Amino acid sequence: MFDQTLSFLAALGEQTGLAQFYWGNVVMMAVGVAMILLAIVKKYEPLLLVGIGFACIIANVPGSSLLEPGGLFYDAYLGVSMLILPPLIFFGVGAMTDFGPMLANPKLVILGAAAHLGIFVALISAKLLGFSIYEAGAIGIIGGADGPMAIFMAVKLAPKLLPQISVAAYSYMALMPLIQPPVMRMLTTKKERMIRMRQLRVVSRLERIAFPIVVGVLINLLLPPVAPLITMLMMGNLFKEVIVTDRLAQAAANTIMNVTLILLDVAIGSTMVADKFLTFATIEVLALGLFAFMIGTGSGVIGAKLMNLVLKEKINPLLGSAGIASVPIAARVTATVALQDDPENFLIYQAMGPNLAGVFGTALSGGIMLALLK
Amino acid sequence: MNKDTTTFAIILSVIDFFLCFVMIAGIGLIISLLRYLDKFGKLDEDKMRM
Repeated sequence: MFDQTLSFLAALGEQTGLAQFYWGNVVMMAVGVAMILLAIVKKYEPLLLVGIGFACIIANVPGSSLLEPGGLFYDAYLGVSMLILPPLIFFGVGAMTDFGPMLANPKLVILGAAAHLGIFVALISAKLLGFSIYEAGAIGIIGGADGPMAIFMAVKLAPKLLPQISVAAYSYMALMPLIQPPVMRMLTTKKERMIRMRQLRVVSRLERIAFPIVVGVLINLLLPPVAPLITMLMMGNLFKEVIVTDRLAQAAANTIMNVTLILLDVAIGSTMVADKFLTFATIEVLALGLFAFMIGTGSGVIGAKLMNLVLKEKINPLLGSAGIASVPIAARVTATVALQDDPENFLIYQAMGPNLAGVFGTALSGGIMLALLK
Repeated sequence: MNKDTTTFAIILSVIDFFLCFVMIAGIGLIISLLRYLDKFGKLDEDKMRM
């Protein structure tokens, strides 16, 4: 009787995930908990980190059927791998974004290109480390600090690295308030950081409406490989700016964006399974991503300083670091660092210009890369 | 041409970075021209909101 009970319990135990539990699961669960804690305690991108962290914890419970075909996490991940979610995120971002600062000061758009040196330094470094040119390209795009774009490029160029790349891109975007300021301070003097910017002009409604239409046509004409993302970004923005489709713009910016974000969080978190994630390649991708972010931040600041050599009216070089995409996190970091040296120097609106240009910079870099690698 | 080489990675990076500058400068130029649209007329936002 006692033996039978024991064997019954042993058989039951084998059917649970307990028998398959190993140290890797514990490590990844701890990573998930750390993400949630960072979101709660430090307020680092809670909309991303709470969902990703939770999905990471659950995905590392052995025996869960959520990751198998037909499972909740599996289906959410299909949205990423089939490139449905990234354009929807861009749609929501477009509907939420005021491109006014970029339209008001067009000369700052060049910073959107300057801050992308990190992409190429990471690309070459990844190739030197032995990754294929396609994997290196996908890893490099992490430096663009644009989550949906990083996912888009990873699916196109290196689907096997999608978990590592998406986790690196979103984690570093969330950690930008920690990564960027030391680089920004190292490359600027206090006097430079205290440069105040002139108030921007008012942008007319006609300009705001024409902008998404013109850019939508241009990108489809010149860079079809990244057209799905930019087209959706521009459509969302058009819905916002024409006013008469306010209901659709509100849906895109709130309901659609929130649902997509939840699915994206779950999809990314679910890829952080110990046996696939705890590899040396992950460490390399994470290190290269961090390197790309730091180089991109630095090249943006240096780009702004170079512009100051030819501009009559000097710009605050901190704006260069906002040229890395990641709207509006990079612009917020720029504004925060400027406020630390001068509590009355409000740069947030001006920083949004290069920050928005950074979205185009990353998309252009990715589009050109896809065209050259075809 | 074998694309999977470090040399190609460097060439790709240089071309991409340069073209990115050119294209984004082009976008900047077009954006700066948009303000001249206002010379052709203005939209009445109050009417649009009705």
